[in-house]
Amino acid sequence: MVRTSSPRKPRARRFGLGALSLGALSLVAAACGSSSSSSTSSSSTSSSAPSQITIGTAYASSGSFATSSVPELDGLKLWISLENAKGGVYVGAYHKRIPVKLIALNDQSNPSTAGVLYNQLITQDKVNILVADFGSVLTAPAVTIAQAHHYLLFDQSGTGIPFFTPGNPYIVLCDLPVSSIWPDPLANFIIDHHIKNVAIVYGGNDFDGSQAETLHAKLMAAGVHLVAYEEVPTSTSSYSTIISSLAAQHPGAVLELGYQPNDTAFLQQLESSGVHFPMVFTVFPGQLLSLFESQLGKAGLQYTFTYGTNFFNTYTNVSEGLPTKAFLAKLSATYPSAVNTLGLLGYNTGLVIEAALRNATSLSQLALRNALTEVSGHLTTVDGTFAINSEGAQVGELLPLAQLFPGSGNTVELKPVTPPAPSIASAVYPAP
Amino acid sequence: MPEHSASRVDTSRRPRLLNEALGVLVPVVGFSLALHVDNNELLLVYMMGYVAMAQGINVIYGFTGYLPFGYFGLFGAGAYAFGIGVTHLHWPAFADLALGGVGAVAIGVVLIPLFRLRGAYFAIATLAAALALGDIVANPALTSLTNGPDGLNLGSVYNSGEFYVSSVVLVAVSLLAVVWLRNSRFGLSLRAIRDDPYAASMMGINVPLRRAVAWLIAAALAGFAGALYAWATSFFYPTAVFDVTITVLALVFALFGGVGTLWGPTLGAIVLYSLYDIVGVTDPQAFQLIYGLAIAMLVLFAPRGLAGIAAGIRNLWLRRQEREVNRATA
Amino acid sequence: MLALFALVGGLLLGCFYALFAMGLNLIFGVQRIINLAHGDVVMLGGFLTWDLYEGFHVSPILSALVALPLGIAVGFLFHRLVLPRLDRARDVETMSLVLFFGISQVIEALGAIGFGPNERSLPTNAIPSHPIRFLGETFPAYLFVVAAVAVPLLALFVLYLYRTPLGLQTRAVMADPREAQAVGINTRRIAAITFGVGTALAAAAGALAIIVLSGVQPSEGADLTIIAFAIIVFGSLGNPIGTIVAGLIFGVLSQLAQVYLPAWSNLVPYVLVLGTMLLRPEGLFGRRTRVA
Repeated sequence: MVRTSSPRKPRARRFGLGALSLGALSLVAAACGSSSSSSTSSSSTSSSAPSQITIGTAYASSGSFATSSVPELDGLKLWISLENAKGGVYVGAYHKRIPVKLIALNDQSNPSTAGVLYNQLITQDKVNILVADFGSVLTAPAVTIAQAHHYLLFDQSGTGIPFFTPGNPYIVLCDLPVSSIWPDPLANFIIDHHIKNVAIVYGGNDFDGSQAETLHAKLMAAGVHLVAYEEVPTSTSSYSTIISSLAAQHPGAVLELGYQPNDTAFLQQLESSGVHFPMVFTVFPGQLLSLFESQLGKAGLQYTFTYGTNFFNTYTNVSEGLPTKAFLAKLSATYPSAVNTLGLLGYNTGLVIEAALRNATSLSQLALRNALTEVSGHLTTVDGTFAINSEGAQVGELLPLAQLFPGSGNTVELKPVTPPAPSIASAVYPAP
Repeated sequence: MPEHSASRVDTSRRPRLLNEALGVLVPVVGFSLALHVDNNELLLVYMMGYVAMAQGINVIYGFTGYLPFGYFGLFGAGAYAFGIGVTHLHWPAFADLALGGVGAVAIGVVLIPLFRLRGAYFAIATLAAALALGDIVANPALTSLTNGPDGLNLGSVYNSGEFYVSSVVLVAVSLLAVVWLRNSRFGLSLRAIRDDPYAASMMGINVPLRRAVAWLIAAALAGFAGALYAWATSFFYPTAVFDVTITVLALVFALFGGVGTLWGPTLGAIVLYSLYDIVGVTDPQAFQLIYGLAIAMLVLFAPRGLAGIAAGIRNLWLRRQEREVNRATA
Repeated sequence: MLALFALVGGLLLGCFYALFAMGLNLIFGVQRIINLAHGDVVMLGGFLTWDLYEGFHVSPILSALVALPLGIAVGFLFHRLVLPRLDRARDVETMSLVLFFGISQVIEALGAIGFGPNERSLPTNAIPSHPIRFLGETFPAYLFVVAAVAVPLLALFVLYLYRTPLGLQTRAVMADPREAQAVGINTRRIAAITFGVGTALAAAAGALAIIVLSGVQPSEGADLTIIAFAIIVFGSLGNPIGTIVAGLIFGVLSQLAQVYLPAWSNLVPYVLVLGTMLLRPEGLFGRRTRVA
């Protein structure tokens, strides 16, 4: 390799200087570009009504969240089709109905993709209403983007506590209570029935961890003894050993907090282990009852406890949308595969949007938020009573504790055994 | 023919310098101005992160022949180091960014013993290490440090102007690193190590040390990319950053463009990441299918990627020139 | 006593793990290829089992047997069609890793498209499910059922490898491919057949996996491959008996982790892989194939 030195140096130096200055200029250009884009706000606040109300959302058609995300989207789509059949959603600011258009983008259960899509909905599609995907993991990327661009985020079921902070008005949790208060009815039940020696096994993730923490705090404060407080990896599918070690402690109640695969594995292995606990609680049978019935049948589910999702409560007096029976009929006719809790949650999101649009003084994002603050506590739907605190977190729509009673054939019936619910059954404790 | 060979040696240098200068400047300027064209800044920030990581794969695989499947572990380490800087040390964002790089390099140092293993085993061992790191970070026992499975909330340092500019700088740094490796003695020694480590060490090259330096450069690139991801995203859970998909994408981008070249990984990242997002937006459920097929097809039919195809075409063209010259002078 | 429960349960599960990892070990032993799509084949075996049960009430035990010839056919065909092109790549070893990684992604995607992304489980009574008392502890029946299927299949495989002419040729290729070729063995044919057998073992393990894991879902392949890899590395790459021993040890270790360190039980395969590669790269039994 022959090296020629001096003749090239001046040229190289000039070249280097040129490159540096070009580089510096580009960085300035970059900075200008980005700071101007972050103050994009929503569509026009002009006095003439828009021809369409666009709702933008992300959903997961594949990946680990698809089971919940797809029916939730179907519920929202049901609401849209019902409104459009009436000529559109009623927008109070313009005193008329305006047709609704949905832009639903697929994030494949990947939070980074979801973030890019939320950004797109805001900066490219400039939607009127921004709705999050299912669950905390896929809602998280939207929170800061919405806040930075001054968009109200309609958080459907992302119940993570950190999302809601004082000073951020740009988020409202629509369909489920914030995760710290979910277990309140369960904790109260245990305390009221003087159940001693409670065992808690929970999955290592935000959803189950926050419930476990709440239970832990409430039960300890009430003087209930915890014989076990075990965290297991979210991917756990083998509970036989854990069941054995719990049995040795003779607990009065075993609370297993996991996702659906955890609950299925736990209940199946409990059934085949021959161990019997006086009370067993798992999270998901209340949300996916028919799935659990097919996997466990009556024998594996009877007398266990779960969250009594509003899907199993019959509401006849509602201030927005359809009452329960009519809603279920419409849902079965249009989206039969979404006839479960998630379909109800998606439909409820639509009702919250409807309430916001009806009561807002304009289409600006803050006007929508103020409208929801006004209706908080007075909006009753098939999902219970909508009530938000000053940070936008849902403190209404509480899930009662429910028990599964033997039904006909190989099925079980879910009945709430604590408030809030339209009708309350008496619990059977200890389980026979 | 002396004239032919001499002219070929000389003319190859100037275009190469120009090519490398463009290879650095065009992406940097392009990304700087891109926001005025497409104001989805998250998309651009992520894309720039992938350019940096594809170049990181370029450094470690193209120059040393080692392929770390666990590359995403360094990305996650950078993201969490940044997060710890924000939530525990309360440092300003740029200091946390530096911490992100340091964190990834630290993990890279811990993984250096894995270089004892041969290619494929190194790949899988790094995968196991990265997955283990993800599990450790997400473990509730470490909640006081990393917030465990509850995810990080870094909204307090959100500043889109700053993280966008930082991303452009990262792209520039990654490209300059590759340019340096392509033109320096150090880079040449790395390629010697890749092709025959025993011969290289017999020449007096300190094989483990030089390989470690290349590895740490690649680790730093991934770490900074991770830190920028954390900065731009604000709210994320461990599974978002400790995800093998990240390695898959960086790897496919680098392979598609052509490992060992300067333009290859950059083009691969820009073209394929755009496609990846378009596919996501228009909703065929098959992105994973397409990417898997892309990897398989690349390996089977185009192992040198776009650059290989481009080089193949250029060789064909050069050979035609030569034949014409020979015919003319014959 | 809990430790006894973990020990016995772990050994029973270990039989499953041995069968589960054996296919990966076999393919590696013959061709030095790490089949990263191994876990996905297991997943397909699981879905096959689920479909057969839902459609025709076929017991998973029978499905494990049905999976065998299917696996051989699919694996053999795949090998014939795809692998010859691989030799053209510049860096065959790493490229084969990347290739199989791509194939793993393809299978996972097809699985999600074909079966939907949800986890599917068999009902509890698909196999005998009453508790069994043994050595003073009560065990769920599925542990014994799974072992009762895995052990004969493993025995069958060992018989094939050590007592049949084809098995002898396979072992010759595993020991030294060039010498085997020099003696007249058609190494390409053996490689293809072995790939088929390895796929068959994985598919049969899939039928048992749906019981052990209480379900099957398209995305489980990647984690399963890591576990299988940890087992075969620990038991010495290429050594079939080593895989059996390592499978048993892994079963016991993972059950003990569940008892004493449940929050960290996820890390067992990673610790096994990294520990083996860094501390004793030749694995438990040494000598056969080195990784460093």
